[in-house]
Amino acid sequence: MLTEIIDVIISGMINGSVYALMAVGLTLIYGVSKAFNFAYGSFYSMGGYLAFLVFGFAVLHHYLIVFCLAAPILFFFGYIIEKLLVAPLRKRDDWEVKVMMITLGLALFLDNSFQVVFGARMKSLPSILEGSFEAGDFILSYQDVVIFILSIGGILAFRWFLNNTRTGMAVRAVAQNPAGAEIVGIPKEFVFSATFAISTVMVGMGGILLAQKYFVTPDGGWDILVKSWVITAFGGMGSIRGSLYAAFIVGMLEAFVGWQFGMTWTLIALFAVLLTTLVIRPQGLMGKRG
Amino acid sequence: MEHKRTAIILIIIWSIVAILPLFFGSTNFIMHILIMCLIWSVVASCWDLIMGFAGIFSFGQVAFFVIGSYSSAIISARFGVPPIFAVFMAGIISGLLGVLVGIPCLKLKGAYIALVTFAVHMILEPVLKGDIGRFIGTGGSRGILTIQPMNIFGYTFTSVQPIPYFYLILVVAIVCSAIIWFVIKSPWGTAFLALKDAETFATCLGVSAFKYKLMVFALTSFLTGMIGGFYAHYVGMLSTRMLGIDLFVTLMVILVIGGVGKFPGAVIGAFITIAINEILSPLGSYRPIILGAMVVILVLLLPDGIIGLIQKIMTKKEPMESSIEK
Amino acid sequence: MIKIQNLNAYYDDFHVLKNISLEVEKGQIVVMLGPNGHGKSTFLKSVCGLVKKMTGTISYKGKEISGLGAEKTVNMGITYIAENRELFPEMTVLENLKLGAYSRSARPFEKKNLEKVFSLFPRLKARQEQFASTMSGGEARMLAIARGLMSNAEVLAMDEPSLGLQPNLRIEVARIIKEINSEGITVLLVEQNIPQITALADKLYVLEEGRISFEGSKDEALGNAHLKEIFLGM
Repeated sequence: MLTEIIDVIISGMINGSVYALMAVGLTLIYGVSKAFNFAYGSFYSMGGYLAFLVFGFAVLHHYLIVFCLAAPILFFFGYIIEKLLVAPLRKRDDWEVKVMMITLGLALFLDNSFQVVFGARMKSLPSILEGSFEAGDFILSYQDVVIFILSIGGILAFRWFLNNTRTGMAVRAVAQNPAGAEIVGIPKEFVFSATFAISTVMVGMGGILLAQKYFVTPDGGWDILVKSWVITAFGGMGSIRGSLYAAFIVGMLEAFVGWQFGMTWTLIALFAVLLTTLVIRPQGLMGKRG
Repeated sequence: MEHKRTAIILIIIWSIVAILPLFFGSTNFIMHILIMCLIWSVVASCWDLIMGFAGIFSFGQVAFFVIGSYSSAIISARFGVPPIFAVFMAGIISGLLGVLVGIPCLKLKGAYIALVTFAVHMILEPVLKGDIGRFIGTGGSRGILTIQPMNIFGYTFTSVQPIPYFYLILVVAIVCSAIIWFVIKSPWGTAFLALKDAETFATCLGVSAFKYKLMVFALTSFLTGMIGGFYAHYVGMLSTRMLGIDLFVTLMVILVIGGVGKFPGAVIGAFITIAINEILSPLGSYRPIILGAMVVILVLLLPDGIIGLIQKIMTKKEPMESSIEK
Repeated sequence: MIKIQNLNAYYDDFHVLKNISLEVEKGQIVVMLGPNGHGKSTFLKSVCGLVKKMTGTISYKGKEISGLGAEKTVNMGITYIAENRELFPEMTVLENLKLGAYSRSARPFEKKNLEKVFSLFPRLKARQEQFASTMSGGEARMLAIARGLMSNAEVLAMDEPSLGLQPNLRIEVARIIKEINSEGITVLLVEQNIPQITALADKLYVLEEGRISFEGSKDEALGNAHLKEIFLGM
């Protein structure tokens, strides 16, 4: 019983850490540009498939190669998508709906392209690190440890970027006051595209990390989209710290509900939590009012 | 004036649609497609009413459609209610659920509403497939395989002879579009336009945003649920496959082609989109790819849909005096 | 230094500025007066590349700059200081200042300008770690001016720099403008009518209903009965 609970807690922590990475990406786009990305889940699957491709074709089968190749590809992809699909809509009054629509179309396009190219069957990825730490009944796989460290490391690195680099400061400036950012000469369009690209990298990395545990499927991203969404809304849209806390709460909740009642109940439980939060505190845990 | 034009366009559309069986009546396959066009035109018009006119980013329209179709199937099977009444009860159930979803939503801002309504869509599948679903009779992941066909006063509508059902659905679609037209024309419609332009200003004038928005939630989910019931009794079987993203995007294509917030546009969009969908169906798994690409391209190139395009051409022909005077 | 010809600007469909032509020479303080809502802000924003719908030409050091957008305009040395300050509320004073030096041309001078700004505004130095949102109205105004200076601008376009300030702070703002100008920075500013600031002007313009209704020196303005009555209140 006790070891079971510990297992559940560990699983909640590991998933929570990856969710945090992905939710921070989503909250970033929303906080900076108020754009809503329906294709976020498809970018998650894309990360998984990129890793699968690298393992299939590259000479060196190593996760280091995967990350080094996937990160720039995802960044470039996100950048292009923002420039081509989202940026032209910004001039319109109803751009919010239009962005939701176009990203939804993109999601359908990508998911089905994955299905045509890779087939509907699940793809599995090798574990990033074999072996485990054992003490009696208690088992902690090294894979989980690495996933945890990488996602938390990713978030910390991103925080460092926001606080200590010129571009990071420009990103925060646009999020806090777009008009002020324009006045000091910050290229807003570039910041929008860059944040979109960074968030694509974050969710794609999340895809690579989680695919080792849960396989890659063409439409596996929808679940992730809704979870990241729930986490950002729960934590407060635009608040990075909020999403961090919310991600761990959601990870834990999911693990415990799944353990006690079965996996079909996890989404329902998440939805219940979301609704309760939004009714009691519409701006989320850490979001600002209005 | 504008409402009058909308009404004329609607009358033209429905008159053309009404005589279509003269040409295609002998081909059941085409009649079937036309019935689907009618059904989706209602769903899309409702979605347009809530999203395009009321400005509420609701992404739960397919969910309400599925709720309505399951409700009607279950009510008629379990309680022996004649389908024609079951359909209305299904509409009421999904209308009530619409209000239930609407209440928390209306306190929220745009993107959050999208989240909550889309979450309703996302959790519907596990609910219908899971224990709760099996308990109320959804058949779990197998779905419902036999649904009573629609019958009115002893006359049974079957999918083998689609022409009578076509006209039945046509009447329903005409009534629905008339209701939507009245809503847009009425003070409701004006209130929505005011709310969209300046919510705080409108509320200062005493327009109760909450009341109007809740009413539109109730109305659109009622109509959508009801047409969902008609769908269930026509196709005779249901499964959660309808909740796939495919259908969701098809509906969106309808709106994109017709034009968001350009009311009769959704009706025209439905016919074009369903036709395209059928033409593309031999392409198999490439079809959704093309559909997705179509949304992307159309949103960029034809942002106001066909109606917007027509309006643009019309205003170009008129002299530009008004804009210069300002 | 700046030459504006036939400038027309629009806000939505509203024609705000009508055929404005004027010239600003290097090292001058040019003040534009005018009632609220007659287009003063729009005028400054047009010069700074912040207005999209406009026609006419604006040349700066002989180069055409209209339609370039704020990013390029700031980089060339014209910086706008907003009437409502437009600070970054959840950043420290120091971060706000550093962002003032975001443009490429300002980066090499960031350290030098920071020292200059801190000597001009000792209060900001003392509060450099404080969030901008916690500052008083007067301090926020100083921060906005300081942030503008960080861009290493040759022309500062100030939008009602004394708006909402107490009389003693207005005098302070006037002193600072004079000091900035004495270092060779051209100042183009719009005001309703604040005597302390009008007194600094090398050249005065009056903008009424989107048109320039007066142009001349301070003395000429004082000799104009209509202006005296309406604006100078004397």
